[in-house]
Amino acid sequence: MTSLVSARGVSKHFGEVRAVDDVSFDIEEGKILGLIGPNGAGKTTLLKAVLGLTDCQGELSVLGLDPFRQRKELLRNICFIADVAVLPRWIRVTQLLEFVESVHPNFSRKRAESFLSQTKVRSNAKVRELSKGMVTQLHLSIIMSIDAKLLVLDEPTLGLDIIFRKEFYSNLLNDYFDEKRTILITTHQVEEIENLLTDIMFINDGKILLDKPMDSLSDSYAELLTSGENAIKAKGLGPIAEHEMFGKSVLLFEGVNRENLEGLGELRTPSVADLFVAKVKGARR
Amino acid sequence: MIGNQLALIKREIWEHRSIYVTPMAIASIVTLSVLAMLVFASGFAKELDVAIFGASNIAGEGERKAALTAFFVGTSWLFLVALAILTVFYCLDSLYGERKDKSILFWRSLPITDAETVLSKLITAAVVIPVVAVFGIIATHIVNLIITSIWVSMKGGDAGLLIWGSVPILDNWVAAFIVVLASGIWMSPFIAWFLFVSAWTKRAPLLMAFMPLILIPLLEWIFLRTRFFATAVLDRGDAMPLFHTLDFESFFEEEHWRAGIDSISLLGHLDVVRFLTSPSMWGGVIVCALFVTAAIYVRRYRDES
Repeated sequence: MTSLVSARGVSKHFGEVRAVDDVSFDIEEGKILGLIGPNGAGKTTLLKAVLGLTDCQGELSVLGLDPFRQRKELLRNICFIADVAVLPRWIRVTQLLEFVESVHPNFSRKRAESFLSQTKVRSNAKVRELSKGMVTQLHLSIIMSIDAKLLVLDEPTLGLDIIFRKEFYSNLLNDYFDEKRTILITTHQVEEIENLLTDIMFINDGKILLDKPMDSLSDSYAELLTSGENAIKAKGLGPIAEHEMFGKSVLLFEGVNRENLEGLGELRTPSVADLFVAKVKGARR
Repeated sequence: MIGNQLALIKREIWEHRSIYVTPMAIASIVTLSVLAMLVFASGFAKELDVAIFGASNIAGEGERKAALTAFFVGTSWLFLVALAILTVFYCLDSLYGERKDKSILFWRSLPITDAETVLSKLITAAVVIPVVAVFGIIATHIVNLIITSIWVSMKGGDAGLLIWGSVPILDNWVAAFIVVLASGIWMSPFIAWFLFVSAWTKRAPLLMAFMPLILIPLLEWIFLRTRFFATAVLDRGDAMPLFHTLDFESFFEEEHWRAGIDSISLLGHLDVVRFLTSPSMWGGVIVCALFVTAAIYVRRYRDES
């Protein structure tokens, strides 16, 4: 496994505010990593550092390059959607394709045109004439036609309706992703992406709270649905979070052997969203 | 690098259609005015008819040349003024608009350096817009010479002799080309200042760009009683060291153009060597480089979030 992104003690301060605070992690080739965090957690700052859009302290290497100082080289092999609807509104679709083709050595215009032919985006339309969903489709068509090693998506589906969102991720998975590519994605809508992620990272107040492969979550975390005496027993085992639902207690455990919990109630792997809430609340306590 | 520059400059022309629409509009206005003039003149007596554009058989070659040169210079001047206004607005929008509509996030996701981007905007303002304008000037001249020739022929005059034989076409066009290109270089510190303001300001680029140009000379006068800034900066437009001694007042006086063919040459009034060896021209280029560097720096280091 090769490490595409390697961060050691990366920090970014804005005056007193530590947007990213001494963070270390690796992203390996062929992974789809979800970066999850509340607003202002430092997600976007971290992504910007990875993309070379902002300078930072510490050691950060992306594809073996210093992202801020070797941005142009980096951007030949990395692409990103920084925010929805940032395509210039005045440009025509054909002009956009022509421009990207002439400045990006790894862009295939044919591929982009074939993606676009599956959408309602007309090639002579201006971006300002397209709906928000269509602009995202256009952007994604361009991004997916760039033969890049790393794709970074920052809230790519914000403000889109459910149909576009589903389509977005299914296109990404079916037409783009393979073992040679790596995707780093942030979103608020965790539920929509959790089944396509291979790895997950939680970030809060500039610090990493969790950084694990998805398939290891069931080993480390368990959610117990229980009531009555069993609930009291279970609470004794030190859950990291608990809440009541339909008169039952929902308890979340970290690093507790499943065998000890079996027989105390209904056992399952917690959803990423529940786990996230538990971790963030735990960190604030 | 060069491939990227061409793509970037093309991109600028796509976005700022006024770069070629403005010259086309001026050309149309000039042509319509000439047409209107010819129609208007046709309503008068025959002597008036033929006097327009030196087409008279009575007037000599010098008069015809001067009249046509006046028309050439007049239209070129119109283009130059429009061009200056266009350039100011182009520069102020070029690095501000992309931040306002957030498209900078898209542009910066492509493998292009900030230096390449800012440079493409400088080249567009200092070279592309002037060159497009020169083509506008030439096209306007050709169209109007043709129209006038047809008119003269219809009146029974010899257009070949009266119009085409009288006008030092190449001389005028080469002169226009040199003046316009030199203006781009001469005014480049302003272009770079506008680009910098466009990259730097959070709001109101027009105000931010012109406020210092008004406040600094004012404060200088109030506190120091000197006019250094005003002379060096605000009067720069009139001080281009490209001309020998172009005195417009005497240029179109009768004795002057009666003197003969040579004095009508616009090119003869230009002194390219003087321009290229002028310290104030090179000083301007250095100021331009400083502001462009600052603009690149701001685009690169500012965190747009």
